[in-house]
Order: sequence, then structure tokens, then C-alpha cells
Amino acid sequence: MNDIGEFALLVALATALYGCVSYIMAVRGNRVDLYLSADKTPLIVWGCVAIASAALWRAFLTDDFSLQYVWAYSNREMGTFYKIASFWGGQKGSLLFWTFLLTTYMSVAYLQNRKKNVALMPYAMTVMLVIVVFFLFLLNFSTNPFERIPLPPEDGRGLNPLLQNYWMVIHPPTLYLGYVGFTVPFAFAMAALITKNLDDGWIRLTRKWTLLAWFFLCLGNLFGAAWAYVELGWGGYWAWDPVENAAFMPLLVATAYLHSVMIQEKKDMMKVWNMSLVLLTFVMTIFGTFITRSGLIQSVHTFDEATLGYFFLGFLGVVIAICTTLIIKRLPLLKSKNELDSFLSRESSFLFNNLLLLGIAFATFWGTIFPIISEAVRGVKITVGPPFYNQVNVPIGLALLALIGIGPLIAWRRATLSNLKKNFVKPVAAALVAGAALFPFLPLDGRADILAYIAFILCVFVMGCILSEFFKGTAARMDLHEESPLAALSALTWRNKRRYGGYVVHIGVVLIFAGIAGSQAYGTHDQKHLQKGESIQIRDYTVTYERLLAKEETSIKSRVIAQLGVYRDGRRVWTGNPEKEFYKGSNQPVSEVDVLSSWKEDVYLILADFTEDEAATIKVYINPMVSWIWTGGWVIAFGTVVCMWPDRLEERRRVMRQKKQDAAFSPAQE
Amino acid sequence: MTFVHFIQLLLVAAILLGVGLPLFRGLSKTRLFKPVNPEIEEYKHLLVRKEEVLLSIKELEFDFKTDKISEEDYQGVRNKLELEAASILENLDRLEREKKSAASRPAKAT
Repeated sequence: MNDIGEFALLVALATALYGCVSYIMAVRGNRVDLYLSADKTPLIVWGCVAIASAALWRAFLTDDFSLQYVWAYSNREMGTFYKIASFWGGQKGSLLFWTFLLTTYMSVAYLQNRKKNVALMPYAMTVMLVIVVFFLFLLNFSTNPFERIPLPPEDGRGLNPLLQNYWMVIHPPTLYLGYVGFTVPFAFAMAALITKNLDDGWIRLTRKWTLLAWFFLCLGNLFGAAWAYVELGWGGYWAWDPVENAAFMPLLVATAYLHSVMIQEKKDMMKVWNMSLVLLTFVMTIFGTFITRSGLIQSVHTFDEATLGYFFLGFLGVVIAICTTLIIKRLPLLKSKNELDSFLSRESSFLFNNLLLLGIAFATFWGTIFPIISEAVRGVKITVGPPFYNQVNVPIGLALLALIGIGPLIAWRRATLSNLKKNFVKPVAAALVAGAALFPFLPLDGRADILAYIAFILCVFVMGCILSEFFKGTAARMDLHEESPLAALSALTWRNKRRYGGYVVHIGVVLIFAGIAGSQAYGTHDQKHLQKGESIQIRDYTVTYERLLAKEETSIKSRVIAQLGVYRDGRRVWTGNPEKEFYKGSNQPVSEVDVLSSWKEDVYLILADFTEDEAATIKVYINPMVSWIWTGGWVIAFGTVVCMWPDRLEERRRVMRQKKQDAAFSPAQE
Repeated sequence: MTFVHFIQLLLVAAILLGVGLPLFRGLSKTRLFKPVNPEIEEYKHLLVRKEEVLLSIKELEFDFKTDKISEEDYQGVRNKLELEAASILENLDRLEREKKSAASRPAKAT
């Protein structure tokens, strides 16, 4: 099966190359036979990559250590769950997984559009196939997952213990689905540029794809944060690590695009901006891959054998050069015919939101590449840590939060100042009341405290704005259609899925902001070396060290568990069991934290160390409002699903347009 | 020949058959694309714009109903949107008329 898998990768490369060439020749020579031949290649390439992926999965599940990759990332003791996930545990497999997802997306986009969009399809497919060729080239000639070991060992080294967590099965695929998903809008945008078909057809075509990729990237980032929180054992969820940044930047640019594209749809303007944003999003995803696989930046996320930097740098350079050239060449066609009606309009607020999102993205980009630049220029690697990002991004983030509230209350095209004042009275009043109510309870000693206080006030303001939007919309519908409040609310949301689904997403963002503000400003921790029966007193909690347990889990894994009684006001509320896991062949034990989570705060326990006399070093964190971040993530997911839900009215409009066009330009008349 | 070689051969044969068949079906004279008709492209664009402007009018009404815009501004924007809609409809009519007359010309000639 390994031979077949390896061969399938080679055949996939040859087929993808043939597909690129034949699509181009078909279009240039206007030849339908070549086109039909090329048109088979997306599915064939997917089939071949699927065969290769199945072969690698089979090797993992059958403990085939004749493959160097399986030997490096699996062993006989690992459960099926982790053997499946080991597929993307290292560079080679993760590249194959990336290619598998990419070809899957390509095939679905192909099946969905091959009859609807004949003008764009050959170009979009060529762009996607070129990207596939790049990845297949790496898989075949630089980082082959089917590389053999001449004398297969009895057992493998096993997956990095840090990766043996259930999030390993969820986080990388979700993130990859996001990263790879942006290839589809990129390919159609490139197709539009090449064919000069620059109305908003390609945007409508890829709207759902962009949302889907954004959805996965957003969830991928949050799942990564949740994983870091429970696995890395430092009490936090985000460290501005270069690889975290690499996943965060495309999310920011894509968010800017999702907003500004609405202006193009409504007013037929900002074509250059939107085109640039969608291309930049794709570039950022490749940049993220470059960061992880170049070996230039050290991070817990980078791959051990990160040696593909030059390939990705070259690819990145070619993509940027082509995109820039095409945009410059098409500038006359991308010129807007319309302009903003008024400075005080929803469009303007979207423009500001774009600037702020790109501001955060740029600051993050600068902080990420600064160590590389400093090393190249001065020969000294200067690491940029969280203080830089917090200093720059937090104020911009707060301005962005305020805009989330302001935007929806401003009318499209032109808003009236007096009406705006009227609309803002209630949310502003609610924010001021919340500010006054919180003032006696929240410390305002340092910058972090003050920023968190401002964030809470803004969160209340934004929630007030969003809820007033729902309230006013429902009231207007009740008035117009004589509906009950519930019927009016559901009809309002259902008939304007994008708008109200978007508001739900904003509620999720507000929850995340509140969670970040609370946990960053008001968290505390303590660490003590305890004998049995001794306690740590922290805030309202008393954490008592009760005993140490040792367990042999498997022949290669053992656990040492500390039992801790957690008391609040003298009453036992929880028994925490943080532990250290020891893996045969690994020098470093892995900390498994234990968390008591509530909407108010998390009690986060770490077994930092222990001695032979059964004394233990225990670290306790009190992290307020962390659960708000995860809840916010689920709310965002729900809101995005509402936005993505198929819209029958829109489909009907599309069909009607097609009928009208057919009637006006029927073949009989041509 | 081993089983693996047989499967590999089968895979290559299936792919060659898949991509090769269309090349031998005598389709080479058929043209893939008709030349782009700028009138159709403009017509398509105008249909989309018409929808967007009508949706914008609806949205404007909703914004007015929910007190986001004053009556004066509402009237101003509405007039502008209606003018835009009228111009789009006019252009659509023009294109349809042109198409009809172009279609009837050869018929009269015959």
C-alpha cells in the first residue's frame, strides 16, 4: 500500500501539471476537447491524493514502521485516536493533509461551478491546480511521507507527548480547513482578474466559501487557545507566539474583507481594495505556512524538521509578484464609478473597521518578522514579546470594539446626526451605568486595570447597540406585519440572515473581549512547595494538598497525580487532580492541568514538581472570565452558521436574473 | 508483475482513459467559448445592480422606520436611489430594444 500511496502522489503531480497545461491550452486555443480533458483532472488529482492519504493512515493504524514518518510520530502503545491524528503530527504528513484538504476544496468548487461559471472556471481551476502542483512537488521531491527505513525498527518513537491531547484531533484540521479554504476565493479572484470579468460575480460566487474558511480559521484559533490553556500549563491561552500570530493575521485580513465586500455589493465601489484584501488573505495563509515550516522562527508550534523555508519564500514571492502585477494591470477596470454619499454612513464605519483590523494585522506582522529582520540586519535576534503586542494592539482592539457597536446604528449611505444621538442614548446610558456600577469593585491601579475597565464599559455599550438593533427591528416588523414578538424576531433574523447572523457573531466577539479583559487584568496566581495537609490561600479559595498518587497507565506512560481539595468559605467545592505524565523515551514530563471552570472564574491547578518525600510544588491560578472566551467562540460559530445558511430568496433572485437574461439574449435572437 | 505493479498500471490506465477520451471524440472543431458579448455582460451587471438598488431602498425604508435617518435625509437618499434605479431600468430597456431590433433586421432583410 505504501508503494501505491507514493505512486499515487507522483501520478497526482503529473495529472495536476497536465491539468494546468491543458486548461491553459484549451482557453488559448478555444478548444472544447482539451477543456473536457482538463476538466477531468481536479477529481483525478483529488482521487490520487486521497489514495496516498489512505495509504499513510493505513500505515499508522497497522504500525508500519518501515515508513520513517510513521516511526517518528507513532508507536504501538498509542491509541487509534492518536494514530489517526499523528497523520498531521509532523511536517510531511501535515503537508499531505494540507494537500488533501486543498484538493477536496478544489473538487467541491469544481462540482459546484463547472456548469454555472464556464467563463471563470478554467482559470480558477488552473490557479488551484498550480497551487496543488507546488504542494505535490514538495511531497514528491522534498518531504516525502513515504520515505522508507531499510531495516524497520520494532517500535516507533511516538507522537510528541504535548500533542497527545484530544485537541490534536480537532485543532489542526480546523485550522487547516480555514487556511486552505481561502484558496477558493483567491483562485476565483485571480480568475476574475485574468478574464477582466471584474463585476461582483466572483464575489457572489465565493461569498460562502470565504465565510466557511473564516469560520474554520476563527474556530481553529480558538481551539488552539483552548489547547494551549489546558496543555501548556502556564495559565494562559495566548502568548503572541509567531505561529499563533500567523493564524491570527489572515483572520484579521479576512474579517476586513468580509465587511468591505458588502460595500462593493451595495455600491459597486472599493473593487481594488477588496481584490487586494482577498489576495492578501491568501498570501497571509502561505506566510503562516512559511513561518511554521521555515525553521527561521522558534516556537512550540514549528515542525522539528522545518526545512522548507526557501520553497515557501519563493512561492510567496511569485504569488505576490503575480497578484501585484495583475492588480496594477487591471486598475482602470477596477476603478469605482460611485463614491461615498456621506462621511457619516455605515460605509465609513466599515472603512474605519478595515483600517483598524489591518492596523492590528500589520502590528502583529511586524512583531512576528522583527526577529528575522533584526538578525539579518544586525546579526542579533531580538524577540518581540507580549508587551509589544499588548501595547499596540489593545488600544486598536478597543477602538474596534467601539466600532462594532457604532456601525450597526448608522444607516447605509447617509445617517443623520440628530437620529444618531437619539439611537445612541440608551446604549451609552447603559454603558455609563455599568461603568459606575463596576467602579467600586474593580481596581484601577495600572494600565491593564484601566484598559480592562474601558473594555467592560465598551462591551456593555456594544451589547446595548446590538440588542437595540434586534429590538427595533422586531418592533418595526410587528408594526408592519402585525406579527407576535417571537414571530417578528425570527422572521427578522431569517429574512436578513447575513445582517442578523453578523450581529450574533458580534455578540460572540463582545464575549471574547470581555473574557480577555477580565482574565488579563484581574487574574492572580500563587505557587508553594507543600507538604501533605498544607494549603495555599488565594482570593476566596483555600487549596489543600492531600496526597500524591502514582499510576502506570501503559507500558510507556505513567502518571503522578496530586489530589487537591479546593475550599471556598470553609466548604469543599471541588477536588482537583493536576498531574505530570511521563513517557518512555521522553526526558520532559508533560503537565496536565486541572481546571474548575465557572462563568465567574477558573481555578487552574498545576502540579509543578514533586519530591520523593511526597511533597509537591503546586501552582494555582485564578483566571477570571476565561469561560466567556470559549462561550464567545460558540456564539460566533452559531452566528456564522446563520450567515451561511442557504438563502432561498437569493437563489430565486439568481434564477430570475438568469431567466431574464435568457429571454433578452436567447439564442433565437443571436 | 506484482500485485502492486498491477494496481499502479490500472491507476495510470484509468487516468489516461479519463483524460484521453475527450481528445478522441472528434470535438476539436467545437469552440469552447463564444466571443464575449459586452452587451450581455452589461445586461448581467445591470440586473444585479437593479436588485441591489431595490434592496437598498428596502433597507433605507427599514432604517427610516427604525429611526436611524431623518425624514429629510431619507427623502434625499431615496430620491437618489430611485434615480439610480430609473437609470438602470432605462439602460436595461435600451439593451433589450437594441437586441430586438438587431434580431428583427436580418428577418426583414430576408
